[in-house]
Amino acid sequence: MGDPPGTGTPDLPEADAQGRKRWHVQVVWLIPLIALLIGGWLAVRAVMEKGPTITVTFTSAEGLEAGKTKLKYKDVDVGQVTAVKVSRNLDRVVVTAELAKELEPYLVDDLRFWVVRPRIAGGSVTGLGTLLAGSYIALDRGISKKPRRDFVGLDEPLAIQRDRPGREYTLHSVHGGSFGVGSPVLYRQLKVGEVIGNKLAADGKAILTRIFVDQAYVQYVNPNTRFWNASGVDVKVDASGIRVDSRLLASILIGGIAFETPAEAQPGAPVTSRSEFTLFPNQEAAMKNPESDTVQFVLIFRETSRGLLPGAPVELRGVVIGEVVEVVLDVDMDQHTVVNRVLVNLYPGRVHFHSRSPHFGEQRNRFIDELVAHGLRAQLQSSSLITGQLFVSVDFFPGAPSAKVDWAAKPPQLPTTPGSLKEIQTALASIARKLDRLPLDRISTDLGATLRAANGVLQRLDTEVAPQARDALAEARKALGSVDRVLSSGQPVTQDARDTLREVGRAAQSLRVLSDYLERHPEALIRGKQEDEK
Amino acid sequence: MPTTGAILACHECDLLQHEVGLEPGGVARCRRCGAQLYRSRPHELDRVPAYTLAAFILYLVSNAFPVVGLSINGELVQATLLGAVRGMYADGDWLVAALVLVTAVIAPFVQMVAMMWLVLFLRMGRVPKSFAKVFRLLAFTRPWGMVEVLMIGVMVALVKLAHMAEVVPGIALWSLAGSMLLLAAAGAAFDPHLLWSKVSDAR
Amino acid sequence: MKRDAVTAARRGLRACHICMLVSHVAPTREHAACPRCGAALHLRKPDSIARTWAFLLAAIILYIPANLLPMTSVHTLFGDQEDTIMSGVVYLWTAGSWPLAVIVFVASIMVPMLKIMALVFLLLSVKMRSRWQPVQRTRLYRLIELVGRWSMLDIFVIAFLVALVQLRALATIKAGPAAACFGAVVVLTMCATLSFDPRLIWDPVEDGHG
Repeated sequence: MGDPPGTGTPDLPEADAQGRKRWHVQVVWLIPLIALLIGGWLAVRAVMEKGPTITVTFTSAEGLEAGKTKLKYKDVDVGQVTAVKVSRNLDRVVVTAELAKELEPYLVDDLRFWVVRPRIAGGSVTGLGTLLAGSYIALDRGISKKPRRDFVGLDEPLAIQRDRPGREYTLHSVHGGSFGVGSPVLYRQLKVGEVIGNKLAADGKAILTRIFVDQAYVQYVNPNTRFWNASGVDVKVDASGIRVDSRLLASILIGGIAFETPAEAQPGAPVTSRSEFTLFPNQEAAMKNPESDTVQFVLIFRETSRGLLPGAPVELRGVVIGEVVEVVLDVDMDQHTVVNRVLVNLYPGRVHFHSRSPHFGEQRNRFIDELVAHGLRAQLQSSSLITGQLFVSVDFFPGAPSAKVDWAAKPPQLPTTPGSLKEIQTALASIARKLDRLPLDRISTDLGATLRAANGVLQRLDTEVAPQARDALAEARKALGSVDRVLSSGQPVTQDARDTLREVGRAAQSLRVLSDYLERHPEALIRGKQEDEK
Repeated sequence: MPTTGAILACHECDLLQHEVGLEPGGVARCRRCGAQLYRSRPHELDRVPAYTLAAFILYLVSNAFPVVGLSINGELVQATLLGAVRGMYADGDWLVAALVLVTAVIAPFVQMVAMMWLVLFLRMGRVPKSFAKVFRLLAFTRPWGMVEVLMIGVMVALVKLAHMAEVVPGIALWSLAGSMLLLAAAGAAFDPHLLWSKVSDAR
Repeated sequence: MKRDAVTAARRGLRACHICMLVSHVAPTREHAACPRCGAALHLRKPDSIARTWAFLLAAIILYIPANLLPMTSVHTLFGDQEDTIMSGVVYLWTAGSWPLAVIVFVASIMVPMLKIMALVFLLLSVKMRSRWQPVQRTRLYRLIELVGRWSMLDIFVIAFLVALVQLRALATIKAGPAAACFGAVVVLTMCATLSFDPRLIWDPVEDGHG
């Protein structure tokens, strides 16, 4: 039934009361006070320690994590990334980071940032530590005075820190070449700097490569220094033969640039930064003296110039005095002839003309006339039978038909003389033809039969041999031996071979006679040949 | 002890009993099954807000600063409570993340605020309109606040990691401990029985 | 207790679970609101048995994958390792930190299992209207209520391990699928505990005594 609450039925038990301790009131309020003090102090401290916030944009956020990625200067933690977002126009990634308070005064315009990730470049593997600990953003100091909070990060790691002493140079090249950032710059095979950047020239026709040379080696770079692409292995096959040239292993793998000041050039004062140089494709091209003073001549050759390449040297008595520029065919439509027209550059600088005369050029021409009159001619010679390459040799041929320098022709034409090679070729051809006509087949069959017979005879003979037979046999053996050698080695047959064959023929003949005789008079072996037949 | 005249039903065995007055710090238990019916919590109106306020401040600190850090090769990785939740969420374990968030952050937070709110008003002698609703909210979140379990959990994690790398206790670790104690103290000081009788009186 | 123990139910009274006020409600009325605090007044927790069973069954079902699936997966430079709850305990034990092993074992394996078993026992005892040791059973319920939350221990441990050990290639810890299952088990058992009305234990005792 329903009893309203509170009226309490007397038979309801009482709840069981149990006692306990007491506390003080006032003390209690100390507790939140203390908590407030602690919390407040921590908050204040955090705010005071808080450093500046900056934003840096990169092209990619690979390896960057909000709340994790750190910023480091010289490998010391100086900040942390707090957010990574895509920029408004979706072209770059905006990284927000909080830096340590100490960095505040250094936030200037040319402060540079880049992401350190594992990289293989410049002959070394860097940033491996980031595989374990995660990528980080590195900074480099700026020297500007203008403060800044939003930065654009570099896409490639900064190779040269601002503090590193040295100089920068720009190399201009048409050929390109493989220079990754960090590729070595070599001087006398020693690494003295590195490549710090590549970019296309404004007109798109050349590549500008920026390099950095350490301070200690800057003295070796002067206005006359030549730079060339020292990448990899240089194999050249030319009129001088085959050459293999290789540099530091690093440069073989990732490319490199070497430089040197040619011995002849005067070392000028070391150049200031951002000087421009040309980058040559190889050492050869670089060290070649830019011959400002070249004289061009035309040479007409009637024989084949197969093997004569542009760049082949022109030598006078073994000294290189010029090079072949081009080889073309000259067709005379009236005379119906075809000749080789070879254009050569001669460097008078290679030949030291001494004269105190003011009319130097003219005098030189007259001097050349003199030489030609004495038999100076140009001739094609073989530089290497293996490669079949030719070069132009200028020499004196006293027996040459007289000729003159044709100064009227543009360019002037030097007289030539047929190459000795041609003679060799003709001689060889005639030998070959003669050999062809020899009945080698018949000789070899005869030889075979004779050999067998002789073998039989020799076997029957013991130590006792008739003198004639001995001589004949010895001769035969010798002849056979040399024939054997000649025939089996396959060497081109020469005069010797012809002689030998003649001897062989003679030997075979006499052997024939001997064997015939022995056949009829076997007792001759014992008794010797009778003076006359009975 | 004299009865106050009010009647109570034991929430565990349904036995009807008289309320009795208690000594300060005393506890009343069910005659039949021993369930705790109510306690005397003196100075409740002072102690509860004091403890909850302190716990609240420390709890803010616990969430703002890292709880524990790991130092490997000089690299320090630190974790805050919310950071841990975010980490689990990012890994795809959203259920666990939600669970941790509710039990370690939201429920204790609601508890503290609700307790403070209720008691402070009563201290001022006022009964706000939504008193019952807030009380119900508090009662609902009571079982789900697990700050003390969190504390032990962090300690276990610390010990587990200690053999792997250098463990750096963060500020939040200490403030969490303090918060936990204060919350427990506040819970002990909180007497719904008294509160409701005050509400009845006020009405 | 004595024969004439009087419960609120018998007297047609309902106790408010929020403000503890005992109010009179006509037996015919299903829904009533507490005059003091406005909370819904129920004689017993609504659908207590059904809900408790439902939560329990779900918890039992999820308890299996929670123990079979990996709880943590560790990727280190030296290899990967996946651990279930049990293998984690074993690892701790063999690694020498046996206090930790005990703690984790108790919190993550024993407690949920005992909770489930205890609740099942209580449910069955109520179903069978048993009058065996109601005080002890009530104590058991109190125990479950108190201890239930400690199963969350491992979840917190994992949360911090995952948050801290994010060292890329060197070592990375991820929570495995068992973590979510286990979390669900904890929640479900807690809900089951909350839905169970311990006064149901005493009802048969009441009725038994007439």
